[in-house]
This record gives sequence, C-alpha cells and structure tokens, in this order.
Amino acid sequence: MPDGSFAHPQQRHFNPYTENGGTILAIAGADFSVIAGDTRQSEGYSIQTRYAPKVFRLTDRAVLAVNGFAADGNMFVKKVKQRLEWYRHAHAKDMPLRAIARLIQTMLYAQRFFPYYVYNILGGIEEDGKYHTSLPSYSTAFPPHPLSRVHWIKREWKCGPKVLVANTFRLLVQLGSGAVYSFDPVGSYEREACRAAGAAQSLVQPFLDNQIYFKNQTAPAGQSHPTHLPLQDVLSIVIDSFTSATERHIEVGDGLEMYVVLAKGRSPQGLESIAGIQEVTTKSDSDRVFVIRRELKKD
Amino acid sequence: MASADGGAYSYSLTVFSPSGKLVQIEHALAAVSQGTTSLGIKASNGIVIATEKKSSSILIDDSMIEKVAVVCPNIGIVYSGMGPDFRILVTRARKSAQAYWKIYGEYPPTKVLTQEIANIMQQATQSGGVRPYGVSLLVAGWDITRGPSLYQVDPSGSFWAWKASAIGKNMVNAKTFLEKRYNDEISLEDAIHTALLTLKEGFEGQMTEKTIEIGVVTVPTQAELEAGKVEGTGRFKPTFRKLSEEEVRDYLAL
Amino acid sequence: MSIMEYNGGSVIAMVGKDCVAIASDLRLGVQSLSISSNFQKIFPVTDRVFVGLPGLASDVTTLHEQFRYRVNMYTIKEEREIEPETFAQLVSSTLYERRFGPYFIEPVIAGMQKTPSGSLKPFIAATDLIGCLNFAKDFVVAGTASSKLFGVAEGLWEPDLEAEDLFETISQTLLNAVDRDAFSGWGAVVHLMCFFEGSTHPLAQPRRSSTNRIASPVAP
Repeated sequence: MPDGSFAHPQQRHFNPYTENGGTILAIAGADFSVIAGDTRQSEGYSIQTRYAPKVFRLTDRAVLAVNGFAADGNMFVKKVKQRLEWYRHAHAKDMPLRAIARLIQTMLYAQRFFPYYVYNILGGIEEDGKYHTSLPSYSTAFPPHPLSRVHWIKREWKCGPKVLVANTFRLLVQLGSGAVYSFDPVGSYEREACRAAGAAQSLVQPFLDNQIYFKNQTAPAGQSHPTHLPLQDVLSIVIDSFTSATERHIEVGDGLEMYVVLAKGRSPQGLESIAGIQEVTTKSDSDRVFVIRRELKKD
Repeated sequence: MASADGGAYSYSLTVFSPSGKLVQIEHALAAVSQGTTSLGIKASNGIVIATEKKSSSILIDDSMIEKVAVVCPNIGIVYSGMGPDFRILVTRARKSAQAYWKIYGEYPPTKVLTQEIANIMQQATQSGGVRPYGVSLLVAGWDITRGPSLYQVDPSGSFWAWKASAIGKNMVNAKTFLEKRYNDEISLEDAIHTALLTLKEGFEGQMTEKTIEIGVVTVPTQAELEAGKVEGTGRFKPTFRKLSEEEVRDYLAL
Repeated sequence: MSIMEYNGGSVIAMVGKDCVAIASDLRLGVQSLSISSNFQKIFPVTDRVFVGLPGLASDVTTLHEQFRYRVNMYTIKEEREIEPETFAQLVSSTLYERRFGPYFIEPVIAGMQKTPSGSLKPFIAATDLIGCLNFAKDFVVAGTASSKLFGVAEGLWEPDLEAEDLFETISQTLLNAVDRDAFSGWGAVVHLMCFFEGSTHPLAQPRRSSTNRIASPVAP
C-alpha cells in the first residue's frame, strides 16, 4: 500500500540451520582410540572449503569429532573446551573421558528446544582399563611400568563368624582402555567400540559392522573373533572407509584427519613409521595424542 | 485364370482364382521382370549386390538415382521393378531398423529385417485399398549370429536365402550364368567381378560407373570384433557400404 | 515416503574373474510391517542371464511377466537366446515406454556375455526406474539399502575375484548392508554364474550356475 502498510499479512521465514556435509568416525582399540573425519565443508552442491577440521583434541586423552551444521559444531567445541578449562582450574587435572561424555550430554540437552544441529563422537582413553593385580612381593620382582597408573588399595576379607581383617595390600596396575562415545544432537549417548556419523554414515557404518564387529562372519572352529583390533588394522579400515565414502558420496573428500590417542604405558611402536604423523600431546607422563593427515580425492 | 486382360479375378486383390493364384501378385511379378536386372552373390568373406542403372533419357541427371540403398550400417538392399515402390520400402525398412535399435541398442540381424520387409510386402497382398509392391528385393547384410546372408523378397512377401540370385529382366539368363560361375570358396573380389560379368550378359549400352551400382558386405575381422565399438563414435564399424563411382570404375577397368 | 520403501528390498550384482554374481534379500513388507520372508526378486531370463527387480512388489510381478513375454517373443523371432547386454537394452526401453508413469522398479541385470571369440565374459548393468542404463565394471546396487550396499561393496570388492571369493564378497556385502536397512533383510539369496575354460568349443562346456541361500528366511 502507498502508506507502507501491507494489504495482506506477510510471513517471513528464517531457517537457522544448514547441513555442511562430511563424515566422521571413531574406533576404540584395547589401549588406543582412532577418531577421524574428512575436511571438506560444503553447502548444497558448493564446496565452501577443502580444509575445515571436524576433529578436535580436547585433552591429552580426549578427542571430539563434530559433524552436521558447522557453525553449531564450532561453537559447541568452543564451549566444551571452555568447560574443560574451568575444570582444570578447579581440579588441577584433566576431566576423565566418561565425565566429558556426560558433560556433552548435559550441554546438548540444555539446548533441547533449540538444539545444536550436530552429531558428536567422542573418542579417547577411559580410566577403566584392565587391572593387572599382583601382591607386593610379586610387584617387587616385576616392578610396574613407570608410565602406568598405580593404585594401592586396602582389601578386607570377611570369612566365617569372625571378621578377619587381612590388611593386605595389593598392587593394581591400571592401563587405560580405548573408548568411543556417540551422541545424537540432543544428548542421547552410548559407549561403543566404533561409530560413523554424517553424510556417509549409511555407507560406512555397515562396513564397520563387518570389519570391526565381525558381523555376519563365522570364526574358524575353535577360534573366536578378536574383541579389539591392532592399531595398524584399525588405521587401514579408517582409510578404506574414507576412500570408499569419497568415491561414492559427493560431500566427502579433500582431506582426512585421523587422531590417534594412545593409553599411557602403551608403546607408540609402529606409529613412528607412519608418514607425516605429528604428536599433539601437551604434557609428559600422560596419554598421548597424534594426528595423521592424508589426502582424499578432490573431485 | 490369368488371361491377358486379367480375367474375372484380376480386379480384387484378395480373391483367389480357381487355379489358386492371386493374379494381382502375378501382375506384380510381371512388373518386376520388366525391371532392370539386379543380382547378389554371397562370397566366402562378404557379399556383393549389384544392379544396372538405366535412365530413359540422357537428359536425366543419373547421380540422383539410387538403386542400392543402405538400410542400416550392416544391411543394404537392391531392387528390380518399380522405383517409387522401392523408395517406400527403403523408408519402411530404415524405420524398422531404427525401431529395433531403439529397443535393443543394436541393429537387426539380416533375417529379422528381411522378415520385417517381407511382412510389409505381404500385408500389401491382403489389405483393402492397396496393391502389391511391384518390386523384388535382394537384402544383403552381416550379423554376429548368422554372419553374411543374402535374401530375396518377392511381391507376395515370400523370401528365401540365396548363395547367389538375380532378379529383373534378365534373371533367368543371369541365374544360369551364376550357377556356372558360383563356388562356395569365391572371394569377395572375385564375386564383384562375377557380378559385373553377369550384368554384362544382356546389358544394353555401355557399362560405366554411371550405369552400375554396387553394394558390398564385408565380414569384420576377429580383431575388429574384439575391438568392439569404434573409438569416439560409440558405434560398430559398418559392414555394408556402397562402392563409390571411382571404385566401380576401377572394377570395370580390370 | 519413497515408493521404493513401500515394500522394501535390495539387489546387488558383482563381477569376478570369469564369473558374475547377483544377490538379493527376501523380505516383502508393507511399510514397517513384514509380510513374507521368502519373496523372490531375482528371476532367470535365459541360462546365463538373471534379472533382479527391487521395488514395488506388484510391479515386480508385472515387469517379470512383461520381460518373460518379450524375451520369449525375441527367442522365437530371432531363433536365438538374448544376450545379457541386449536384454539390458530391452529392460531400458521397456521402462522408458512408461517415462511419465513409471514402474517403481530399479532393475539389476547380471549374466555371462558371449564374446566374438566364442567364450563368455561377465556382464552387469543396472537402470533407474525409467531405464537409464549403468554399465558398471565392478558392481551395481539397487533398492532401499543401496547407499549401504555402495559403502560396503566399495570397501570389500576387488578386481578379478575367483568364484568362491566373489560369492563370499557379495554375500558379506549384502548381509551387512541389509542388516542396517529396516526395509531389507529377512533372508538372502545369491546366484553365481561361472565360466570354465578348457573344452574345444567353449559354449559346449557344461556351465555352472548355482544358487545359494546364504541366510535362511525368517519365519514371520
């Protein structure tokens, strides 16, 4: 109308979300984790950049991969990192992995009605690894590895009508174990041995079921499938997954970043031979984080 | 009875005469036998079809006349009889070959295309308001299943496979000539010369590249077959082609 | 909801060394409800051609009948059996006839193609629902689990697989893909065609075309 008013009601619409493609994946080993993601960032059929990291080191034992709406992802990682720093200031140590997982759930659910449009996969080392128990005399003969976590705990035995306090000390040698947590955008989460998410989830996940969980495979008579694969095998599977996804999915490609988190006490043997590997650990005497970068097809 | 004026049965196309003949078809065959001679010879490594191209006046531009026609890359035909009828059949045959290509992504085997043409010609012997085609055809082609094959189709719609055949004005003499000359081992080169010799018998006037038309089927070599489609074209190498006037002149010179 | 998802189902075909395989699941459903665990989607066309028809179940039957009719007519008219590649073209043109009211089927063709020298070589192809042909050299997939099949096949397939290895590869690919697809599964079937060289006339050789049920259909 000439006076600037509208004859009919008009509706304007703003969509605060977009999908930026790409794929992430994480696999837990016995004493390591691999967290990987491609580096292509796209919107529709346009590639915005060939290098936009989706995988981030949080602590020396935790790596977070975020996929979905890149702006939300970056803001979310920023806020998680901020919370972890506050934790460090308050407690003078890094937050344990399972606590980071629960923190992520809380942070995601806090946005239940305006969610971060991101799928998160958290990988790293959990403090629930295999305990190697031995008596003090035994441990004197075989001293624990200098890098492993050593806990002395008091045990009590109750037997019969009398209570017998043994006051025996046992040496518990704990090795961290590889762990992967996967989340939906509003914080539902689960600990798993492997998980793929993002644009090529449907391509990669069934491949992982087959190669990591040995789904649909029968072990030879009298044998069983391994519960955890060696690091070299896991890295091969990760690379194969991404080259396959790059081949068949337009939103996957350009570059591949693989973070490897090694439990304290695990020898990094075999890693130094990998071309271009880079250590990004911040402290000594801790779990260790490495990055491996590879090119993916750019077409 | 087929009398000179056609008799009582000559008017209706679809009524048999008491002797069991359809006189319109007999008349069509008569039209064919007035046409210029055409012949075809199947050689061990190909087929030649040839015809004489005679124009009624020297004033006619004979480069316009086409009596040997390419139907599809592997099949060609030649006729004796009525030129306009042939033109219609060529168009129908070409459409049939393209329709086959649209369904199967390849051109029809010679036998299948011959059947298609024969069906068209048969329908003209049984439908209302039409007359039979006044032509006989020689269909020459190559396909992977049957190799080189030569068929003759008559106005009735009947067809046969031949090692060598002739149609048109001089067909009886030409066939006798071919019977004497033919053997199963004949090469394509020899067959082309035999074809020219046969046409020469009873040829009125000068045999030149202007008055002769030749089409040849060549059998692809094993290497060509293995190679498959020709790079860049997305098509197989054609197996039927018409000889250029230069090539005809060279054959006539020998 | 995609019409492909109404009844569900998936098919895959793979090329090996002198052999070819085609496999499918056995589920028939109506959206989320599973009806049958023995619904065949792969049909023999000739002794050495198979066609897989994933998609709308009623169209599976209709198209199968249509192809049977057209192949029989071809066999009689041409006095020869249809070659895999020619059959693929026939599938394509049959589907394109219904360009603006298509059959909801994404056919997969697998067979052993006669070569000019007289031996047989593996052939696979797939089309979309209006007949756009895809002659792949490695593998083709179709159906509700197609993205999963692509992912696993891309990871497991390699060139020149021997018959036994091809069987294992296609089986593992199908099984792991349909396990992640709610619309596919409930048993599977694999057809394997092999060519054994050696006789004077290759086409006179006994050829083995075996069908293996790799996962039993589940009782509904």
